[in-house]
Amino acid sequence: MFCDEALDAIEAIAGEELTPDGRVAAHLASCPNCAAALVSARALEQMLRRRAVPTAPPQFTSRTMARVRRARWRNDQFLDAGFNVAVGLVVLTVVAGVWLLLNRSGLVAVSNEAVDLMGSGLVTFFRRVTPSLPLYAGATAVLATALGIWWWAEKDAAL
Amino acid sequence: MEDRHERELVERCRSGDERAFQELVDRHKDLVFALIARTVQDRSRAEDLAQDVFLRVHRGLPYFRGEARLSTWIYRIVANVCLQDHGRAPKTAPLDEERGASALAVADRQFTDLEVRDRLEKAIARLPANYRLLVAAHYLQGVQYEELAEALQLPLGTVKTQLYRAKQQLRRLLETDLR
Repeated sequence: MFCDEALDAIEAIAGEELTPDGRVAAHLASCPNCAAALVSARALEQMLRRRAVPTAPPQFTSRTMARVRRARWRNDQFLDAGFNVAVGLVVLTVVAGVWLLLNRSGLVAVSNEAVDLMGSGLVTFFRRVTPSLPLYAGATAVLATALGIWWWAEKDAAL
Repeated sequence: MEDRHERELVERCRSGDERAFQELVDRHKDLVFALIARTVQDRSRAEDLAQDVFLRVHRGLPYFRGEARLSTWIYRIVANVCLQDHGRAPKTAPLDEERGASALAVADRQFTDLEVRDRLEKAIARLPANYRLLVAAHYLQGVQYEELAEALQLPLGTVKTQLYRAKQQLRRLLETDLR
């Protein structure tokens, strides 16, 4: 029996995972170095077993939950931003596509004229309507009052 | 019964039940914190890392297939977090230098139990990160060799061998204190 063999088993013997058989036991009894190693291995084993067990701080769960919520919120924000960017890109692509289509087909010139025509039509319409605006406002107020009275009467009748 | 409750808890967490996740944190926080605090030594850093573990658990739950026990899967995350942190943590001063300084300070005084414990913690801090984690886990109640082997994805024999080597290194570092 050599010291190397005995020393290989020292930690397991100290940890009570291995019972020294006859040869190992005889060597440990006769070799002062290996016996001393076993004594120190047992002392270390005791120290490790007596080592204090740290416990989590009292607020650990609530602080962890707060971090989980923050992480989820950041993740949601990131997803929202990504979704908004994607929608923006799609809208831009569609607008650019429509513009390219109109440009190539010569419809841009026609649409420009149509826009001018609509613009001048709207200006004429507002010029005509503006003098009668107080009348329209008064009529709308009377109509709204009448509808209000009717709604109130209906509500009471339903009760 | 316990496994069924665990599966139900995981399912509730997956469906976005915040109270279920809170229960999961409550059930595992002490072991996770103890493992990390014993590995990294600094309590506030340990709390940060323990929270990181639960953040990863929260993110990873949708992908947890339930092939291993939940606790085993959590230990695996603890191991990853500790080993990653080891790469970032500042290197510990050599034990001999600390010993020289403390030896001067205590001069003729004998080491008290507290000092020996302090030396033990410093010696453990000098071990490689995977050895530290094994020593921390093995001496905590409830963590079996088999569970450690599964969590670290190592054969059972390798876990035992690495633990013996860790203890041999510790013995060498603490040689004079153990006599």
